[in-house]
Amino acid sequence: MELSESVQKGLQSLADATFFDMKTFSVFIEVAFRSLLSAHADRSVLDQPEFKRLDQKLLKHCHTAATTCILEGVKQNADKSTISACLEDVGFDAERTEVFYTTYQKCRSDLETLLSSLGRCPPHINDVSWRLEYCIKNGHVHKVNEPSYLISLNVENANNGGSSEDLHFSCTMEQLQDLVGKMKDAAKSLEKATQL
Amino acid sequence: MDEVDKILIHSLRQTGTDVGKDVQSVKHFTSELIVEAVVRCLRVIDPALGSGLCPSLPPGMSARFRVGMSLAQACQDLGYKGEIGYQTFLYSNEPEIRSLLMFLVEKLPRESAEASDQPAGKSALLQKSIAAQIKAQLALPWLSPSCRLPLLCKTQNPGPSHSFHSQTLSLPHCLKVPGKRQLKGKPQNTQDPQENDYHRDFLPPVTAQPSQHASVPASLLEQHAGELSAAQEWENEWNSQGLLSRLTPEEYRSRKRARLQKRIEEQLRTAAQTRPDTLGAHGSGSDLTELLQSFGGSPLIGDILAKGTRFTHTEKFTFTEEPEKAAKQMAAAANSLPSSHQSEEDLQARQQEELASLQQQLQQLSLSLEEVGGDMRQLTVSIHQVSDELKQKELSNTEEEDSVRVKKQTIYLLPDGENNLAKLQALVEGSAERVVNLAAQWEKHRAPLIDEHRRLKELCSNQAMESSRKLSEIKELHEKISQSAEEAKKKEGLYKQLITEFENLPKDISRSAYTARILEIVGNIRKQKEEITKILSDTKELQKEINSLTGKLDRTFAVTDELVFKDAKKDESVRKSYKYLAALHENCTQLIQTIEDTGTIMREIRDLEEQIETENGKKTVSNLEKILEDYKAIRQENSALAAKIREA
Repeated sequence: MELSESVQKGLQSLADATFFDMKTFSVFIEVAFRSLLSAHADRSVLDQPEFKRLDQKLLKHCHTAATTCILEGVKQNADKSTISACLEDVGFDAERTEVFYTTYQKCRSDLETLLSSLGRCPPHINDVSWRLEYCIKNGHVHKVNEPSYLISLNVENANNGGSSEDLHFSCTMEQLQDLVGKMKDAAKSLEKATQL
Repeated sequence: MDEVDKILIHSLRQTGTDVGKDVQSVKHFTSELIVEAVVRCLRVIDPALGSGLCPSLPPGMSARFRVGMSLAQACQDLGYKGEIGYQTFLYSNEPEIRSLLMFLVEKLPRESAEASDQPAGKSALLQKSIAAQIKAQLALPWLSPSCRLPLLCKTQNPGPSHSFHSQTLSLPHCLKVPGKRQLKGKPQNTQDPQENDYHRDFLPPVTAQPSQHASVPASLLEQHAGELSAAQEWENEWNSQGLLSRLTPEEYRSRKRARLQKRIEEQLRTAAQTRPDTLGAHGSGSDLTELLQSFGGSPLIGDILAKGTRFTHTEKFTFTEEPEKAAKQMAAAANSLPSSHQSEEDLQARQQEELASLQQQLQQLSLSLEEVGGDMRQLTVSIHQVSDELKQKELSNTEEEDSVRVKKQTIYLLPDGENNLAKLQALVEGSAERVVNLAAQWEKHRAPLIDEHRRLKELCSNQAMESSRKLSEIKELHEKISQSAEEAKKKEGLYKQLITEFENLPKDISRSAYTARILEIVGNIRKQKEEITKILSDTKELQKEINSLTGKLDRTFAVTDELVFKDAKKDESVRKSYKYLAALHENCTQLIQTIEDTGTIMREIRDLEEQIETENGKKTVSNLEKILEDYKAIRQENSALAAKIREA
């Protein structure tokens, strides 16, 4: 896991006992994780009583470094050895590494959800309802006698927080067979991918 | 033998031979099993060779015979050195079968252990993990949203819901590294004190800075990625060009900044000068010049103005005239305003007239300006010419003055001709001597200076060579560092991967037990070898002793015999003792002979016992019975076939 120089400097300050003793350190770690996971921006997240005696610039720098380090770790799905190696490189002793790692493990799944919510995704199909119609004649042709399908797909939209919509379309039987054939192909190739 | 059999049976099972669970040793192999095992091994070893053979033994005797012959031929083709024929398969005995199977199993290609030793590359690893994930997700059933458990929500909900939107973050600079030693000579707190205060008191923490809280992770990651890539770019550039320029990093950076600034200035300058020729572009031209003024100092702007082309001058002229005209027009317009009841068309017509007249004036002025400019140019050219001529004339003037002076002197000196000539000659000689003197002095000075110069040049070139050598060393070290870092990373990855693979491997066969046993056997063999060598040396010693004793005996007997024989002619008792001596010697020789014979016979007994054992193992009797039966069966088949032929 590579960290940039300013992040490493911030972590070094965090490791230093003259600035952060153990209690302040644990509170800081909690605050850092909470600031990432909270649903709303909180300007006063660093206004804890334990931080009063610290230089505010240093505090903010360490906060940036800690949050960046956490996000990088979750992004690369780092295991315990990688994180411990990285923290020990910047001077964390075993106790602080342990505190960091336990909080990291606790909040890991939430952070993963947070990061995986970035991006784009087309809507998911949840349900299908179909109707078969038979056209006997229409205004232009005297005898039509053709069946066709009316399909409506119930879709779950990611962007609007899970609201569901309906997609309606109609198709002939051949087109529907084509569609079903293509979906079967997709399912088969997915199974083939598991066998690599 | 048990171990060997177990290993053989295991390998045969792996080739696909259906060895029953109760078959524990090669002794229990039936002919069918043997044939099947051999054919499957042949198929694995050499598919071309084994494809023509069938694993099951046909019922007909002649067919069986043929199968046996072809199998024997195939095994011999593979290189089996022992005696092999159809009888090995049809009428088998244990040691032959064991050796044949061991040969075949050894020939089996090593499992693609080599291939799987090669660590899979990164892309293969990625594909494997993707396949594993897909498999895990396929194993979970799909549930509709209303009954989805939170555990399934992760994989079955529609995925990302926020787009990756990052905002620039404002970070407080805090470059003071806390430590025992102070940073030397790097006063980074050259920050604006107001900026300092802002950072300390008012700057919100980084997670509160983006306008939407959902962009916090995106912004942080983007910021970090930017820092990392900038650091890497700098590394690459410094390693490739920076080191070559032999400057310190700060100097290199400042030089690069100055270079880039100059380039930007030039671009902007050319853009400002090649402004299009419409009047309306004045405003942007002057804005640009102001901008340029803020970049460089005023001398640059002076240059621009002084080197202005004719165009800018014309523009300036027209611009300076314009305000006057505009003022006049404004006055005229102001005068004409009171009569505002005039019609709109009149006003417009008047404006058009004014416009036309103004344009005419403009054209006239520009024409006159051109003329004036042309005149000016001509005049300047003629001025140049005249000044050149003047210079030339002055030069020739001075030359002529010189020659006049010389002639005057000679005329003055002429009357006292010879004296003056002698004086002149003396003068000339004196000045020649002086020249020689001065040249010698100059030489004296020159030599050490030249030496000095040479020495300094050598020093300089040595230093240049040293520095280039050091540069190349530094580059090599850099390369080595990066290479070893890469190797270390690769090896760590490999190690992790191999550990996971090792944990996934099946643990049915314990390798360590085998290796321990092999080492034990090796130790045993070594001990036995020692014992054998000891026994051999003992035997040799004994044999030597025996030889020496026999020799001694013979010699003693010969001597005694002679002695006693000599005395035997005279004395009767001596003759008797001679007879006893001879008898004793004979009996002892006989005893020795008997002992030797006993030894030989015991050895023969042992050999024969071994042979009996091996022959017993060959189950010859049962094989003979089988052969007899098969022989009878073949005779029956032959007679049946002959009968069929006779009928047909």
